[in-house]
Amino acid sequence: MAELPNTTMANECKVKLKSKDDKIFEVEYAVAMQSQTLKNALAHTGCTDTALPLHDISSQILAKVIEYCEYHVNAANTISEKDVKTWDEELVKHMDQDTLFRLIVAAKYLEIHNLVDLMCKTIADRIKDKSVEELREIFHVQNDFTPEEEEQVRRETKWAHGE
Amino acid sequence: MDESPKKELAVRRNTSSHLHRKEETPSWHLGAPVDIFFRSSPCRIVVVNAQELDHPIIYVNLIFEQVTGYRADEVLGRNCRFLQYQGSFAKTRYPLVDIRILTEICRCLSEGFDFEGERLNFRKGGSPLMNRLYIKPICNDEGIITHFLGVQSFKEANFDLSPLRGLVWKKSSGAIHTHILGDMYSQKPLFVHRDCSFKKCCPLYKVSDEVLVVNILARLTPRDVTSLGSVCHRFYNLTKDESLWKLVCQNIWGQETFSILESVARRRRLWWGKIVRELTTLEAAAWRKLTVGGSVEPSCINFSVCAVGSKVVLFGGEGVNMQPVNDTFVLDLNEDCPEWTHINVNSAPPGRWGHTLSGLSDSRLVVFGGCGRNGLLNDAFVLDLDEPQPTWREVSCSTRPLPRSWHSSCILDGTKLIVSGGCTDSGALLSDTFLLDLTMEKPVWKEINVSWRPPSRLGHTLSVLGNHKILMYGGLATSGPLRLRSSDVYIMDLSEEETRWKYVTGSMLPGGVSTCNSAPPPRLDHAAVSLPGGRVVVFGGSIAGSRLETKVYILDPMEEKPTWRILYVQGRQPKYASGHSTCLVGGTRVVVLGGHHTEDWMLTELHELCLINLKGTD
Repeated sequence: MAELPNTTMANECKVKLKSKDDKIFEVEYAVAMQSQTLKNALAHTGCTDTALPLHDISSQILAKVIEYCEYHVNAANTISEKDVKTWDEELVKHMDQDTLFRLIVAAKYLEIHNLVDLMCKTIADRIKDKSVEELREIFHVQNDFTPEEEEQVRRETKWAHGE
Repeated sequence: MDESPKKELAVRRNTSSHLHRKEETPSWHLGAPVDIFFRSSPCRIVVVNAQELDHPIIYVNLIFEQVTGYRADEVLGRNCRFLQYQGSFAKTRYPLVDIRILTEICRCLSEGFDFEGERLNFRKGGSPLMNRLYIKPICNDEGIITHFLGVQSFKEANFDLSPLRGLVWKKSSGAIHTHILGDMYSQKPLFVHRDCSFKKCCPLYKVSDEVLVVNILARLTPRDVTSLGSVCHRFYNLTKDESLWKLVCQNIWGQETFSILESVARRRRLWWGKIVRELTTLEAAAWRKLTVGGSVEPSCINFSVCAVGSKVVLFGGEGVNMQPVNDTFVLDLNEDCPEWTHINVNSAPPGRWGHTLSGLSDSRLVVFGGCGRNGLLNDAFVLDLDEPQPTWREVSCSTRPLPRSWHSSCILDGTKLIVSGGCTDSGALLSDTFLLDLTMEKPVWKEINVSWRPPSRLGHTLSVLGNHKILMYGGLATSGPLRLRSSDVYIMDLSEEETRWKYVTGSMLPGGVSTCNSAPPPRLDHAAVSLPGGRVVVFGGSIAGSRLETKVYILDPMEEKPTWRILYVQGRQPKYASGHSTCLVGGTRVVVLGGHHTEDWMLTELHELCLINLKGTD
């Protein structure tokens, strides 16, 4: 097992990440450390020139993840909590459902807990007070209940809708 | 089925107009719509007992027998719902019976309104009848609903009743039987199978169930969770997960309520899905009678109780010769045979009655004020039940509120005692509010300064809503030179910078008539209980005219226009309930002790209002 980079090396070390579509991204060591998965991986490989392959993450999503991590690695010490919250809200404000879901999967894989939390909270807010049809739109899901099953489900869940 | 009602009714069977015989009717004024029914066509009449569990039929007339094909002795003692089953062997309601109508009937019955509508019924042989139904609640002289009268005229129904395709579900070979929560009406499980309800390329496919449940669904309200469960099979399966409902409960009702419920759920092996549902709808609310061992001696009245975990603690009271007593008793409801135990405490506070006893966090309680041997008191004592030798310790403070009795109190955050109103030595009523923070090393009484105070009062209740709001209701309030029972509700948000009392609902005048049909009459000395979600349940107490009133009322102050509703509770209510002798145990049972109208001075017969069904999955 290779040695962990010491502090000076860590400051100079750049981590290379390769997306699904073979694009290479270079990030600061501290930025990569936000991801528990990368942290563990780098503990094994040490600082290396080889790009870490992320087979399931597209470049578009990876760019967003990196954007989040780069902001937050600085934010911890220098930026107020309120401003961080505003930045986060701006990030997700106009994000479409697909991107949100892909980000959740990526963040979960990379084990960036704050990002998973933020994405999930955003989705939960979008689910709030929606009708069943609207939810199907949001999740791009087809109704696979038979009419009888649908009626049964409706009866079972009436209680939660104040009926 | 009880034999005697049948024999009685057999005599009346041949007189379908028996309701018109004046000498028999107490004070049943049926009103115009029902008269029209009688005049237009022969009517079926059904009377059910509103006070028995599941509303059993106690009377049907001859027309009912002739039209439906069911004989009186076949239907007496049963609930009317069998009329919705096609044929006498059906176990569930015919699917074309409109559920919305049934829901509306239930709502009207529980709120005490008349119901009028049409619904589908079946004869004994299975042929359909379209039933025009009029249901009226019948009250006794005390205003309590004792019966429901159903008058039905009918016409033949014409539609195709051939078996609906897919009605009887066949278990598919790859099906996974998911346990179903079972709705109120039908126990038939819904067989679901793990299917891909969306394309594999949809990114949602890759989000794991664990993330969905723990990170997304757990943040939602029950309403949104169930909406999501109606979207497709995959989500439906997720919403059947017990651990999801546990997380939902924690999220919507907070950690404190959750911890209290958790100990109950674990002990009785209750399903979390059911707990959330029943605490939301209160559909399983029922009165139960509880007999316990031991006794509270010397017997006393005007004692105060509070709940500590599963225990009911009693302190003080007015004993023989109107002397105040200072005994402490405990009743542990978790035991198989609960019995009153006298606690030998070190240094008991001076005896008193008309005081308040409230439960703090960590098995501690605090007593304040009351009427002692030499006049009214304003001292506070704290007891820790978990100590090996429990000791009452006085909270020493330099300045204290005025001595008082029949004030109200509540505990905010498990640590802050709030006291309000009451009656002073001179007989004057108070309208102040004080807060004592017991987390401080040297606690100091702080008056909560407000620009406007509700009229001074005694015998009112203070309930806590969430973490920082208190709700004041009722009491005997000052109104000019008079003192009248109040029905007013006020709320104060203690997290606001400028705290103030906000008027929520009521009559604006103590003792006045309220405008809403199902608002509780003004009262004092009642019981008020806070439910999870910020709702308040109120019952008992003393109302004008010394009527006994045991309807249970519920209010949601978070609504846009908060309105009182009558909560339908099964079972027999206690004849009287007073604020100082009720407490909420385990977040799920309101225990009612003693009462002015009982002979039970030993306190061995208790009543409890169970908010949820405590029979678990044993």
